[in-house]
Amino acid sequence: MEQLINKLQKSFKLSDVKHQRENLTFVTVKKDSALDLVTHCRDYEGFSHFVLLSCVDWIEDGKFQLTYLLNNPSGKFDLGIRTFISRDNASMTSAHLLWRQIATYQRELKEMYGIDFPGSPRVDESFILEGWDEIPPMRREFDTKKYSEDTYFPREGRGSNDPATYMKSKLYPDDEK
Amino acid sequence: MMKNSIFNISPDRSKYPEKDAEGNLMVDLDSQKYVKLWQGPQHPGVTGNMSLELTISGDEIIQAKTHVGYLHRGFEKLMERRKYIQCFPTCIRMCVAEPDYNEYNLAAGIEELSGIEVPEMAQWLRTLVLEMARLQSLLRVVPGQGGTFALGLGVQWGVYLRDLILDLFEELTGGRVYHMYILPGGVRGLLPDGFKKRMEETLKKIDEFVVNIDNLMFSNAVFKQRAKDVGIIQPEWIDQFGIVGPNARSAGFMRDVRKDYPYLVYDQLDFEPMTMNYSDIYNRARLRWHDLIMTVDLIRQIMAKIPETGDIKAPTPNVLHWKIPRNETYIRSESSRGEYGFYMVSDGTDKPRRINLRGPSYVHAISLLEHMLINANIADTAAIMVSLQTCPPEIER
Amino acid sequence: MTSLKDILSPFTAWKNVILEPVTIKDPINDRPGAARYRGFHKNDITKCIGCGTCEDICENEAIDMVPVEGIETKDGDSGLRPKIDYGRCCWCALCVDVCTTNSLSMSNEYKWIDTDPDNFRFIPGVDKKSWDDNEAGWKKPEPNYEFYGLKRAEMGELHPEERDHSFIEFIKGYSKQQAQEEADRCVECGICTATCPAHMGIPDYIRAIRNDDIEEGLRVLYETNPLPEICGRICTHKCESVCSIGHKGEPLSIRWLKRYIADQVESEHYKKILETENLVKNGKKVAIIGAGPSGLSAAYYLSLLGYECTIFEKLPEAGGMMRYGIPEYRLPYDQIDKDINYILSLGVEIRYNVNIGSDITLDQLHLDYDAVFAGTGLHLGRSTRIDGSDHENVYQSIELLRKITLGEEIHVAEKIVVIGGGNVAMDITRSLARLQKIKYGKVQTLATSLETEDKMPADREEVVEAREEGAIIDPGWAPQSIEIVDGKVKGLHVTQCLSLFDATGAFNPQCNLDNKKFFEADMVVESIGQGMDLGYISENIKDNLTMGPRGRIQVDKYFQTSLPWLFLGGDIIQGPDVIHGIANGHQAARGIDNYLNAKG
Repeated sequence: MEQLINKLQKSFKLSDVKHQRENLTFVTVKKDSALDLVTHCRDYEGFSHFVLLSCVDWIEDGKFQLTYLLNNPSGKFDLGIRTFISRDNASMTSAHLLWRQIATYQRELKEMYGIDFPGSPRVDESFILEGWDEIPPMRREFDTKKYSEDTYFPREGRGSNDPATYMKSKLYPDDEK
Repeated sequence: MMKNSIFNISPDRSKYPEKDAEGNLMVDLDSQKYVKLWQGPQHPGVTGNMSLELTISGDEIIQAKTHVGYLHRGFEKLMERRKYIQCFPTCIRMCVAEPDYNEYNLAAGIEELSGIEVPEMAQWLRTLVLEMARLQSLLRVVPGQGGTFALGLGVQWGVYLRDLILDLFEELTGGRVYHMYILPGGVRGLLPDGFKKRMEETLKKIDEFVVNIDNLMFSNAVFKQRAKDVGIIQPEWIDQFGIVGPNARSAGFMRDVRKDYPYLVYDQLDFEPMTMNYSDIYNRARLRWHDLIMTVDLIRQIMAKIPETGDIKAPTPNVLHWKIPRNETYIRSESSRGEYGFYMVSDGTDKPRRINLRGPSYVHAISLLEHMLINANIADTAAIMVSLQTCPPEIER
Repeated sequence: MTSLKDILSPFTAWKNVILEPVTIKDPINDRPGAARYRGFHKNDITKCIGCGTCEDICENEAIDMVPVEGIETKDGDSGLRPKIDYGRCCWCALCVDVCTTNSLSMSNEYKWIDTDPDNFRFIPGVDKKSWDDNEAGWKKPEPNYEFYGLKRAEMGELHPEERDHSFIEFIKGYSKQQAQEEADRCVECGICTATCPAHMGIPDYIRAIRNDDIEEGLRVLYETNPLPEICGRICTHKCESVCSIGHKGEPLSIRWLKRYIADQVESEHYKKILETENLVKNGKKVAIIGAGPSGLSAAYYLSLLGYECTIFEKLPEAGGMMRYGIPEYRLPYDQIDKDINYILSLGVEIRYNVNIGSDITLDQLHLDYDAVFAGTGLHLGRSTRIDGSDHENVYQSIELLRKITLGEEIHVAEKIVVIGGGNVAMDITRSLARLQKIKYGKVQTLATSLETEDKMPADREEVVEAREEGAIIDPGWAPQSIEIVDGKVKGLHVTQCLSLFDATGAFNPQCNLDNKKFFEADMVVESIGQGMDLGYISENIKDNLTMGPRGRIQVDKYFQTSLPWLFLGGDIIQGPDVIHGIANGHQAARGIDNYLNAKG
């Protein structure tokens, strides 16, 4: 694994190399070279199996992290290729030509995070959320609790007490801070 | 398609419908040559809540689209708003049929990210539960393939035996379907008294079932006629589509997480997952039948080797404020459908930043199924789908 | 090609026709849930303390903590009980596993039909259900299955042989790792806050430790307690006695955690962290008598409100009983100074060696200041008044402790008996043991008390540590007389003490006169309690004060006497306890503020 990373380091600018396990390594690359690295790994390094494409929302940094997780079935190890894209007008080059299932991932990311993948088949078709008119729900700023409070109604008669506050009200109600 | 059968009366329609210069199908619904047909979400031939939008010409499918979302509950999102321990009752619902792989992946991920070693006893019990989950799933799936051809008898046998396994689950874990047994740090109980004996009694009944289902399904002229040479997975598709588990093994690719990336105590068990080199519906069903036999054998091995007693849980941080530093990992285990993975990202707080499930059906039921259904007969749709062992909840989470 | 076998073999399934059906005939009765089944909840409400941990862990928000008629809110019990909404419950049993008292469990009942959905919200254990007595059902797995640590983080301390000959502090204090480990055990129920006399925000400062936010921790401490270094060492930690974790394991070391926070911050940063750099004076003046915990606390909170405070102290240094009553090995002087110097840095003035009454009268203070707070403490030793107790080698513990602090030489005999079983008795026992070790190289100090071992008022660790240091603790004896031969103390005669209180609850020790013992000694120390000296209150003022029961001066909840300008607090009102003194001082500061604001 070390060897492979050293080799890749020569052609691609890898940063934040993290050997998570002996058979799992994560690296970060610039957005422009991410798919070059993915393609290189598939074609020359034996990473023939595409595991998943996932997104992590780092809202505090204004970034989406895209993770392309590749697997080398004969070497039995995984490489996670991270790249960070801007959250505003989020867009990434489509990788649907590399593996057949990637179009599905990209369709889901478009729907759930609002990341566009121009040219990806059926990327604009709704995948899971038919008739959804809120912001893409996997974005961190989408508040599930608020949504459910706005959409549904609470059960009558529910209400709880915090033990410490309740004890104060019972035992020393006059004591102010 | 090559079909060596007297029932094969379909002409080669590979020329239809015509394609435009870019290779897109030219389907004009007003031409009255084509019909749109929805199979599902309520349909006896569809596993779970999924529907197929089929464009057919005669009885042949020329285009298929998978539609999911009937069971979307946003679990991945909900887990981002919950403490790690609270993800444990949530994550299991991402796959109803085999919830235990969710429990295991979540627990293993949290343990890896927190640097916790799980006691040996707990590892054995986890392995047992995962194999029991595989067994109860296969007890439905193996005869279920017959069900898609209206051979319902085996399904009834399987469902009965599955309930016996659920009885054992209930004894061990306190739950029948959602076991909530493998929690971060360990498991929630030792084997109850007499468990091994009752397990063996049940396994003996399953031994009989294995023979009976062989007679009923696999040595059945009708089943053979319907299942052979239909729904073929070409070997070159395995990598192109990302096919895993039994579907890949039937096409000659040895893909089994238990062997490739041994976890828990699988390296102490003796087993050899089967591979075949021709993947049609019949062979995939047969391979799952072999898997079932292997699982029964694995449970017997576990029962023989499991320690009498030991610690079931490692000490963990206080679950009410268990924080994990920023990090990420990918945890995989072998479900009955193939590699079942959790991509987990922690951010230093007491809640996960991201948990992303990669279930086998995400590939099998969408890009692969849509591809395989082209030029298939509509009567084979359900059979092809079931033969890929799709599980819609793990697609939409 | 299709073979004959393939046509015939499916027909073997017909053999099932002659088999018995496998269906359970009467599942309602014949199919109870398994022994571990997670069915409807049960709660032992006498064990439950309403800590709300079940509510915290419930991922479905299915649990409400509600008051229950007949269950009283008291120390260690919020009086709330969990009410479960089965429209939300997912039967995961995390609430059972996290329960701090093991009161919550689940039955194996899974069948219940009702036409009213609201019936599926109930309080287990209170609303009676048919499964309340089911033995089977989910219980927290045992052993070694916990959701939080039950054992305290180890505290470094000096070994007895390292500490028994010196007065250096022997509890080393937590390291960051130990403190965080200990803070991690807290479940944040907040039951302790009500029991703490100062109602400190205990879960909040423990959370600050977990988050490694010491500055926030210090702010929380100073909200209710301006003497954290001191309290972090010698507080009687009543909070720990009600800690919910204490029901299954060792209670949180709340006191040591408080000390940890204060230990981490250097004095010079206090003002910045606590935002007291620019206090605005309001032009009003308050006189405070006694620089003990209540006086210092009052001075601190009054200063925050802008009052100019002057403390009059009889002794040469501030701290009162904290300095002159508690030995240095438990509470080093530099730590007392750290807390006090910060209070002084806010502009509080202390005049030392001033005797109210003789040097300046209370009436004069009334004239010179807008209000007066007196927290003069209990500095007079009480005598047993048994035969021989007037001998010159019979001492009062409180006087010896004061002299040790003042650096005066005290008489240390070879064999010493201490009468008393409280913390002060342990303090003098351990101090004398150290002095004997230094002087004679061996310890021959024995402490005896009326109370038997299990009822001794001293903190348990005090007794254990005193023994580790070589002292003998022999409780359960009533002193009868001190034997004096040729003018020299020879020892103490005791008889077995059977009970301390009579049926009415009055103090009336009963002895078994047949069971006697003689403790040889050439010096006896009495440590059976202290009294107050209110000599500084002149007769004309006293005449105007309303007296309460047992000869105490009556005060209202703000510690205001019937003379509105005079406030009294601390040990003279509440009995000996630092944390009560601090709470009194804080409350009196509020009272003074209210009074002076109303006066205009």
